[in-house]
Amino acid sequence: MEESAYFNQYQPISGVWDEMYGIDSIRDHYSKVIDYLSRESTEDLTRKEELAKRLFMSQGITFTVYSSGEGIEKIFPFDIIPRIITAAEWAFVEKGIKQRLNALNLFLKDVYNNQFIVKDGIVPIDIIYSCPHFLREMYQLQVPYDIYVHIAGIDLIRDHDGTFYVLEDNLRTPSGVSYMLENREITKRLFPDLMPQCGVRSVTEYPTILYKNLLSLSPRQISNPTIVLLSPGIYNSAYFEHTTLARLMGVELVEGRDLVVKNQKVYMKTTTGLQQVDVIYRRVDDDYLDPLVFNPSSILGVAGIMGAYRKGNVAIVNAIGNGVADDKAVYVYVPEMIRYYLNEEPILKNVPTYQLGNMDERKHVFANINNMVVKKTNGSGGYGMLMGHASSEEEIEDYKKEIIKDPRNFIAQPTISLSAAPCYIGGALHPRRIDLRPYALCGPDGIEIVPGGLTRVALKEGSLVVNSSQGGGSKDTWVLA
Amino acid sequence: MLSRVAASLYWLSRYVERSDGILRMLKINYASSQDSVQEFTWEPVIRIFSGHDEETEKLGNNSRAVIRYMVTGKNNPNSILNIITLARENARGVQEHITKDLWQCLNEYYHTVKDGKLENLLKKEDPISALDILIKQVMLYYGTVEITMERGEGRSFMNIGKYLERGIQSVDILDAKFGSVDDNPDLLTDTTYWKHLLLSLGGYEIYLKTYREGFEAENVLEQVVLNNDFPRSVIYAVNHIQRYFERLKNDSNIDHFRELSFYIGRLQSHIKYSSAKSIKDEGLHTFLTQIRSELFGIGDALNNHYFANS
Repeated sequence: MEESAYFNQYQPISGVWDEMYGIDSIRDHYSKVIDYLSRESTEDLTRKEELAKRLFMSQGITFTVYSSGEGIEKIFPFDIIPRIITAAEWAFVEKGIKQRLNALNLFLKDVYNNQFIVKDGIVPIDIIYSCPHFLREMYQLQVPYDIYVHIAGIDLIRDHDGTFYVLEDNLRTPSGVSYMLENREITKRLFPDLMPQCGVRSVTEYPTILYKNLLSLSPRQISNPTIVLLSPGIYNSAYFEHTTLARLMGVELVEGRDLVVKNQKVYMKTTTGLQQVDVIYRRVDDDYLDPLVFNPSSILGVAGIMGAYRKGNVAIVNAIGNGVADDKAVYVYVPEMIRYYLNEEPILKNVPTYQLGNMDERKHVFANINNMVVKKTNGSGGYGMLMGHASSEEEIEDYKKEIIKDPRNFIAQPTISLSAAPCYIGGALHPRRIDLRPYALCGPDGIEIVPGGLTRVALKEGSLVVNSSQGGGSKDTWVLA
Repeated sequence: MLSRVAASLYWLSRYVERSDGILRMLKINYASSQDSVQEFTWEPVIRIFSGHDEETEKLGNNSRAVIRYMVTGKNNPNSILNIITLARENARGVQEHITKDLWQCLNEYYHTVKDGKLENLLKKEDPISALDILIKQVMLYYGTVEITMERGEGRSFMNIGKYLERGIQSVDILDAKFGSVDDNPDLLTDTTYWKHLLLSLGGYEIYLKTYREGFEAENVLEQVVLNNDFPRSVIYAVNHIQRYFERLKNDSNIDHFRELSFYIGRLQSHIKYSSAKSIKDEGLHTFLTQIRSELFGIGDALNNHYFANS
């Protein structure tokens, strides 16, 4: 194979797993793509990049930043070079996520019912009760098929030897799946014929599977239950995703103000009167869901919805109170949960995690803080993190003070060097750090994961933070057959 | 259909229709301002589409300043920029009820208004080119609605919004134009004055085919209020409101349906059994004020009974 100019210029980062670059050569699963790219000039690729931007813009796949009363449309940065996963890697990941999700669902059922795992001394009780997302309102509430997590977006990263680690379990309202679907549509336009040649598996089944699962949860045994997607509204940054999913599933997109609870049943206000709602796929956080039970100032939710839920008159997806299972302090115990509930060895590894509530572990973390990432247990979006290797003495001292005020709220993990994949930046390929979020759907028939997911990429050179709020972008994610 | 969705479709449609009216009005008035011996006045246009305040006072009769205020003016709530932003926000909230093509079309319209190139045309070059670019966006919108939108409840609400807006516009334009005649009786016999009015409503060709005796105020009035075949006449708008409202008939909301149906029928009869002469006898301004208030009444009733805003 003639090696292309793009590849010759490529400088992998030392000590980091590179998805494309093996020992002195291109990994097999990337060779067809590099071949294809080598037939394109820099101008061609730059044009493709512009086409991608234009497609995102004209389709309104944007979010709006409001400043000085004026809305500015932005697109999430998209890198045109796909991230490729081999069939073998995918089989492993798929198996691992299914196992993990099974255990997490069992844990949620247990923790909101008999709490065997606490009584057997596997998970300490204070970790659960001190978690702000543990909701007493969920105690002994029966959910259909004992499924709490219907949709999970588990974040995976790869260490320097290519081993997969679970970074976070997102079990509440994981977002980003519309980018998995849209990135694929855009890639079809950018690289004609390339995907069939490479044997890329399709992701289009996602909305169909989700719809089938939602349908199965209806409390009323009727042929045509009403399913809605509850969104906070057009000012939410994920609003595009809500409309995409509603459209692809053919369900009604509603806001809190469209719903009303009467006699512990949920109805939507239509032009022909009230219509009962059976299943709600909500993209509103627990806290805002019911002003009578949770945050009383919320206008995003529906007053009385929790009562209808307790009564079993409406199914809510994902279940309320899931945050106790993806809390970063509870995360530490997930491998133990897998052993406890399933009697299996965990397939996917946890990143080693230190709980700062524990004296000894805190001492160890403080001593080695330059090699640590410290996070809040209930934080997300890359906010409020301390990256030890990239922070000044002063920042570290300030952060330590924060920790000592409320140590339960913090965990620390050794800096894992995320794997890198080639990105098209400024007319050449450069390695940038990536993660992977596959979307797992759990229904009465079991767990299904469409072959693909969202690959987020830290587009800034040297950065390890992939969150879109911190300068991250995304890539199309190919799983090969 | 969700009440909120119905309301959004209705408003989205009203805003686009309004933008169409404004753009055509601006285009003809600009052309006429370049072709006038006496000083041209923008006052009626401003009165119809944005009302008087300190800001519009400052515009005076500077054609470019008026057009920029009406198209891209940030402080003008009825500027094309502001109403298309609202139309798009409404569309954004009902994306799964309009076709993807329609959403993209509105999105393009919005980005076209915001484009710096448009502002340049308005500022330094030919404003008509800028207005034509936008008018084309409106036409694309109507074509896309026609070709792609499902024939259902949603489209009925869109059409009711569109024709209600159009009816109100025609009434307002007539009222303003005939009002100016009261202040300046010479206009009554000024054929270019009536010609421009017809052009701005797109009714010039129909007029020529219908009336052989040149431009007469009474004929213009007859055409714009009573001509069943003129798509911008008041009666045409009311007939279409009636037509699309009938399609919303549904057993579960029958009382409210009857109430609105009554309002629309009463208005329709009122216009249908008027003639240019009877309107003149009644007083044009009185007649138009009555029609306007009934059109607004229909809007209010929709708001209360169908959009759950009562």
